Amino acid sequence: MLFRSVLLLAGLASSALAFADNQTTLTVYTQPSFAAEWGPGPAIKQAFEKKCDCTLRYVALESGGDILQRLRLEGASTNADVVLGLDTGTMETARQTGLLAPHDISLDNLDLPIDWTDSMFVPYDYGYFAFVYDTQKLPNPPTSLEALINAPDDLKIIIEDPRTSTPGLGLLLWMRAVYGDKAGEKWQKLSHKILATTKSWSDGYFSLFMNGEAPMILSYSTSPAYHMAVDKTDRYQAARFDEGHYLQVEVAALVKTSRHKDLARDFLKFILTPGFQQHIPLKNVMYPAIDLGDDLPAVFDRLIEPGKTLYIDPAVVAQQRKAWLNQWLNAMIQ
Amino acid sequence: MLEVRQLEFRYTGDQPGWRFDFTLARGACIAINGPSGSGKSTLLNLLGGFLSADAGTISWDGQRIDSLPPWHRPFTSVFQEHNLFEHLDVQTNIGLGMHPGLRLTKDQKARISDSLASVGLAGYERRLPGDLSGGQRQRVALVRTLLRSQPVLLLDEPLTGLDEQARKGLHQLLLAQKASGSAIVLASHDSEDREVLADSQLNL
Amino acid sequence: MAAFPSTTSTAPLSRPFWHTFPGLLVSGGLIALTLAGLGALIWQARQPDISELWNSPYLRNVIAFTLRQAVISTAISLALGLLVALALLRQSAFPGRKALLRIMELSLVLPTIVAVSGLVACYGREATVTQWLGHWLSYEWNLYGINGIVLAHVFFNAPLAGRILLQSLESVPAPRRRVASQLGLRGWWHWRAVDWPAIRPVLPGVGALVFTLCFTSFAIIMTLGGGPGATTLEVAIYQALRFEFDFGQAAMLAVVQLIICGLLWVFMVRGDFSANLSPQRSFSGAIPRPNCGTAHRVTDRLLLLAFSLFLLLPLIAILARGLPSLAEVVFGDGKALQQLIAASLRSFSIALPAGAFSVATALAILGLGTIRIPALKRLSNLTPAIPLMVPPIVLGTGLFLLLRPGLGDASQGLALVALINGLMALPFTLQLLKEPFRGLDRASLNLADQLGILGWYRWRWLHWPRMRAPLSLAMAYGTGLSLGDFGVIALFGSPAQPTLPVLLYQQMGSYRVELAAATALWLVASLFLVFIGFNALGRSGAPSGTKQLSLERLAEMRHA
Repeated sequence: MLFRSVLLLAGLASSALAFADNQTTLTVYTQPSFAAEWGPGPAIKQAFEKKCDCTLRYVALESGGDILQRLRLEGASTNADVVLGLDTGTMETARQTGLLAPHDISLDNLDLPIDWTDSMFVPYDYGYFAFVYDTQKLPNPPTSLEALINAPDDLKIIIEDPRTSTPGLGLLLWMRAVYGDKAGEKWQKLSHKILATTKSWSDGYFSLFMNGEAPMILSYSTSPAYHMAVDKTDRYQAARFDEGHYLQVEVAALVKTSRHKDLARDFLKFILTPGFQQHIPLKNVMYPAIDLGDDLPAVFDRLIEPGKTLYIDPAVVAQQRKAWLNQWLNAMIQ
Repeated sequence: MLEVRQLEFRYTGDQPGWRFDFTLARGACIAINGPSGSGKSTLLNLLGGFLSADAGTISWDGQRIDSLPPWHRPFTSVFQEHNLFEHLDVQTNIGLGMHPGLRLTKDQKARISDSLASVGLAGYERRLPGDLSGGQRQRVALVRTLLRSQPVLLLDEPLTGLDEQARKGLHQLLLAQKASGSAIVLASHDSEDREVLADSQLNL
Repeated sequence: MAAFPSTTSTAPLSRPFWHTFPGLLVSGGLIALTLAGLGALIWQARQPDISELWNSPYLRNVIAFTLRQAVISTAISLALGLLVALALLRQSAFPGRKALLRIMELSLVLPTIVAVSGLVACYGREATVTQWLGHWLSYEWNLYGINGIVLAHVFFNAPLAGRILLQSLESVPAPRRRVASQLGLRGWWHWRAVDWPAIRPVLPGVGALVFTLCFTSFAIIMTLGGGPGATTLEVAIYQALRFEFDFGQAAMLAVVQLIICGLLWVFMVRGDFSANLSPQRSFSGAIPRPNCGTAHRVTDRLLLLAFSLFLLLPLIAILARGLPSLAEVVFGDGKALQQLIAASLRSFSIALPAGAFSVATALAILGLGTIRIPALKRLSNLTPAIPLMVPPIVLGTGLFLLLRPGLGDASQGLALVALINGLMALPFTLQLLKEPFRGLDRASLNLADQLGILGWYRWRWLHWPRMRAPLSLAMAYGTGLSLGDFGVIALFGSPAQPTLPVLLYQQMGSYRVELAAATALWLVASLFLVFIGFNALGRSGAPSGTKQLSLERLAEMRHA
């Protein structure tokens, strides 16, 4: 009870502060990579503020989990209007918290590889998980998941941990989507090739992959776009796998307790316009959620075509994730 | 007048305790006699407030002082050694006795220099204790004691181990101090010290 | 009291209040933070299923593994740290001794991701060292697994242990050493009579510190652990929060971690407590000991050389990786350099106050330790370990509840970051200052009591001149830890105004790997400068009233 009253008091204090400002402030809880200088955040803020007569404010929290944790702690007094940075791996759990509200906007112009009719989450970009490899060290990468699993053990790969990282969870679902109940055995076979299972994508990419520790790392099919467009090098490429690639969709949602719901909905609508989407390809290094036509950077034509899109319904993921994780752990620890 | 009444103390364990009982007037000196371990240092530590007694009272001019902290008691101690802060120079060591934060007036600084000169240490202000001989160090400690002008001096073997000449000089200083009204509690093995300085004896 | 002329004008800050209150405030604050954090997690979540702790083989394995790697890492770190400290003590003329000390100080504060990158470059699969080992000794060194975990932990912690132990060993007065050598004490007896008594009071604290660091280690273990078999409690806590939003489970695991580390600290503190009671005349100032290094000359120097290489090679790798792009940044179009400089200024404006705050809180805690109430003493020994034992997410939640309106607001946020960083550094600064602070001997304390040199005056005239070097070192550690911190600043998230580590992570997250390598190098160089700068400060001119003195002679006089 003490906490509740503390929260209440604090909430009163902060809402008083918020109202003291004349211009409406739209607060978006997001992830650091989105709001960073190099991320799409700053340009999007500028574009949206031009047309909304408001101030767009980012609060960057480390992960989707941190965003929801913060929302819960703040309860009804939260300043957050929109959360941006959840994905298909976590959105069901987020839905169940009851902290979010339906977006009530039209999703007609979405251009995703799957049908999307969710009433709560608005996709803002998507990508495929893929293994990125160093062409200098691995001229002939495996061409399928099966080939990777059956490759000789001296081929080493770096993956991220599904317990702590989004791509890590992506690979877990990818294996599941391809192998179903046989995923455990396959993991066991794959485990001999895994050099390291890192906490985060950055740990693996910066500390290990770029140090040449292994020629292949679990990443996104879009990763080479950055290297090709900005670093001007074709050295790092994604390996196309015959079984298809697992899809990740990143989403935004309206916070139930938002005091600026109309403005927040305007922002959600803005997400699905070129003004927002044109910053996604090179700044978030993902595919835009709408068709950008000729505005899509040319390097995106040189990325792999996933062939088949693999995707498991988020509700199923939410239900099964723990069991699948345990299966993975058992397979890996043996 | 210093009055010590039924002052009792025992260290933990089964050792026998001590009981002290004596009085001392201004301008007088009492010598505490006894072999090593007889409780001389214990008594001086009790008086100084570094040990607390199990029972009994200590009074100065009729006021109880046994529950006061060391810095509120009317005493200045000089031990056989370790009287100076080794990392501070002579002037600072003395000055801290006059003001614990070393806020000294010009006049006070001059008195330090004069007093140093009077014990044959003119110009030693900036020396560190480590650079001085044992006798010189004790003289610095005594200069501080004198300038502090507390009414009671607690001396624990202050002259032991010093050469003849140094002792003579320090005897003179202490006698002068006594004559000016200071009371002295002296613990010393040395019979000459006792003969020169003490008016009465307390045998432990 | 007016009955006799009292020379004791009251010293500022001399009331008992000032010994207890600041320390109690810090201790109480830390406890409140933890309780608020844990309470909030439990309160808003489902009741955690406590039986899961002993029923789940996964959790049992996690706890067992966490303990195992921490014990091994701590044992090796302490042993190596001690050997290096003894060698450094004996070889006072070792060329590059000072540089080695600075590098030892540096390794602890390196941001994990930077250090791991350096370690991987030196000892990974592609590293020359590994290939030599394989080629010449047919030894198949594999970094990934318990090897890598221990190697990284030793890299971080052996230098820390060595640095603190060296400080204690140097405080043994020269005469005692001389007596020992006159008696012909060698080997075991010299250790028993001289070295062991010097390190015994600090060893439990250092041990607990290193153990806690290894126990709560996270990113290192995952990167170098080789697979999910290498999972610590901290990973499980993170997992529960990040993907499962299972706050109850997270709180339960955090409590387990708190209990295990807490018990260790309680145990250590008891040992520490008794050691503190024996009055001994020891010196806080570093006493250069007579060079009696001939006996171990060859082995000592070999050890120091190997240890230097062990610490230096990863740094050289960071240099090699970052230098080309740093040159590009410096001589490039200027925008990148501007960002780097702005981030540096921001970092320092947080880190310097954080360092100062950390030293101030350490002193407040030490002040609390001077009160002769055992409970307070124990409190002052235990609470500083809290920032190490409680997972950041719990502290973050606690903070959020206690200081809520300030969070997310950039300007207040940065001040808070400095505050929290200072608290996070407290376990280290305290460890560095503890022995020097207690180093005043009984005779000096009695004398000071009688002269009324209390409170501020005692600090100014007795502690300060003797503690300049340790204080500077503590300040350097506090500043360095804050400068390299990513965790706390991430809680307050202000991406538009990144500090150096935030900039580094942003660059990595946006594929700017080359730029990140440059920033990493810049950060390491800044940290190095911090240690060089504060060490120089600690040695430069003493305040008035004291002199640069030959401490060795001083000690001889004293013990003659």
